Amino acid sequence: MTDDSDYYTILGVSQDATEAEIRDAFAGLLSRFPQGVGEQDDPAYAQILHAYKVLDDPDRRATYDSLLMDTAVSALNVTIQASRDQFPPSEAVQLIYLLVEILPPDANSKSHIPLNLSLVIDRSTSMSGERLNHVKSSLEFLIERLAPDDIISITSFSDRAEVVVPSQAVNNKNALLAKTRGIFTSGGTEIYQGLSAGVQQLRQVSISQHINHLILLTDGHTYGDADQCLQLAQQSARQNIGFSAFGIGTEWNDRFLDKLVAPSGGQSQYIETPIQIIEYLQKRIKGLGSIYARNLRLSLDFPESATSQFGFKLSPFAQPLTLNKQEVKLGNVESRLPLSFLLEMRIKPQKIGKRINIPLNFTADLPQQQNYTFKRQHQITIVKNAIQSPPPPDLIKAVRLLSMYRVNEKVQDDVDAGRLEAATKRMRHLTTRLLEVGQTRLAQQAHAEGERLATMGELSPEGRKKLKYGTRALLSQTIATLDLESE
Amino acid sequence: MITCQDCGSIHPEGALFCSECGYYLLKTAVQSTIVLPFSDFLHRPPPPPLSDFKPEPLPTPQIITFIIPSSRRRLEIEMTDQIRVGRTDAHSDFFPELDLTKDNGAELGVSRIHTVIQASGQGLVIVDLGSTNGTLLNNSSLLPQTPYPLKNGDEIRFGDMLVHILFQDNKS
Repeated sequence: MTDDSDYYTILGVSQDATEAEIRDAFAGLLSRFPQGVGEQDDPAYAQILHAYKVLDDPDRRATYDSLLMDTAVSALNVTIQASRDQFPPSEAVQLIYLLVEILPPDANSKSHIPLNLSLVIDRSTSMSGERLNHVKSSLEFLIERLAPDDIISITSFSDRAEVVVPSQAVNNKNALLAKTRGIFTSGGTEIYQGLSAGVQQLRQVSISQHINHLILLTDGHTYGDADQCLQLAQQSARQNIGFSAFGIGTEWNDRFLDKLVAPSGGQSQYIETPIQIIEYLQKRIKGLGSIYARNLRLSLDFPESATSQFGFKLSPFAQPLTLNKQEVKLGNVESRLPLSFLLEMRIKPQKIGKRINIPLNFTADLPQQQNYTFKRQHQITIVKNAIQSPPPPDLIKAVRLLSMYRVNEKVQDDVDAGRLEAATKRMRHLTTRLLEVGQTRLAQQAHAEGERLATMGELSPEGRKKLKYGTRALLSQTIATLDLESE
Repeated sequence: MITCQDCGSIHPEGALFCSECGYYLLKTAVQSTIVLPFSDFLHRPPPPPLSDFKPEPLPTPQIITFIIPSSRRRLEIEMTDQIRVGRTDAHSDFFPELDLTKDNGAELGVSRIHTVIQASGQGLVIVDLGSTNGTLLNNSSLLPQTPYPLKNGDEIRFGDMLVHILFQDNKS
């Protein structure tokens, strides 16, 4: 090629042009040249002919497209590591894993968007004492750290909600703090009451000009309003309001909180002891305060031959992904940490010589542009003597840790379904797996739970949470962090 | 189709780990542990275990010396958190601090993941991790997954491999 412009530009068609459009464009261009012109006669003609030859052949076009995508400049960098890029032909379904990492172009690219934060705090009777005290001192800490243009509201709830601090900019810190000291415990836990009041506070300011996020702190099961809560979370996500949820102690429903944050790609986290409340809140607020791109989502519109089965976000925090919609909500891209996730995909049986492109089409909201799209793809070729080179070590490590998390989830499913023997056996396997990766403490926890299953036929509530969030936390440690700020 | 060597479940081609038990499916053969013949005529019941054991890393590293008479090896290992004893299994990404592969570990009945030595407020502690042939401490067989206190000069047997342990014992 003598020219820098790509083949699509040469033919004057768009990158999603159909075969017929390409043929028409080529025919149109040909008519400009004299009859019987040869490639040697005219470089311009040679260029057009070459571009047409590539784009007219579906295989060559696919290869060219992926080259074009890899070199395309976008506002976010994407790297893909795959467990394989060649498959042998097979009569059966095959699996492939993709480890995808997304980063802003440089670590300092920070776009300050003010926060619109709503803290929703459980004040049911079980929160009294140490728990509520730590919540209050964490609030104090947070309020100290907010920027002058950030907006905050604080709502407390039991079986009804009370707006403690209505939506406002942090002008008079002392007045705000005095109000938070007046939160006292009483009554049960009805999370919907708190959430709906919290969302209402978020809507007091312009949603489009802020990072809008609701943080729920609770220590209990909600009573009969779980579905309402999930509906509200979905509605809010559509209006750019994110949810994160922190469960204190062991008496809350982890799967409910996972579902609550899924529509907006938020975080759900287990807080083992009240003293950790401040640490997790601080991390979350710090993350929200350094957002480069909002609401990243991946289209699940894959070719018929490939289906995504399972996905998990690894960074900036580990979180299961929901894949049953048209797109996966990946949450926000922070400026200092890569956003990475793992996809497990099933590839249908294929014939030799076939190429399959797995398109990864992303959309994100950048400060200067809503619904900014960018894409990459991973190409698999089906060849007879497929080279089985070992998958990248990072990917193996991530899949290894994820498989431990999933085995633990299966133990819980077994227990819930009354399959105690299977659960006990699985827990013993998990103990070995944890030992293999040097997680002796978690292994000891798994061993104790295995014994408990064998003798008492149940898991302890704290063992259940410690193993779930313990194995989940291992995942977020797999990705080398680019956190340049030392604290 | 791939069959999991650990739990026997079946997985599609391309799977990396067993979805049922977490076992690494691309594993190439690592020598499996030989199950030793019945040989516990010397064994005494185990000493009383530590009941309130809470592992905690040592504030400063301590040098632990291991002497393996059968292969005439003497090793010094620095410990802060834990020393795992077993045989390296690169495919599972498992690299124990005290690796007994070269000492004929597999033949002498050492499991890949055999034992761990940890520190606590009460000194060093040994825990058998459910190994195939078990761990003996001064000829007493240890219950798996149960912590026992270690003393300077103790004789430990991993399967059939004798190892002496020497360290600065504050209590003796």
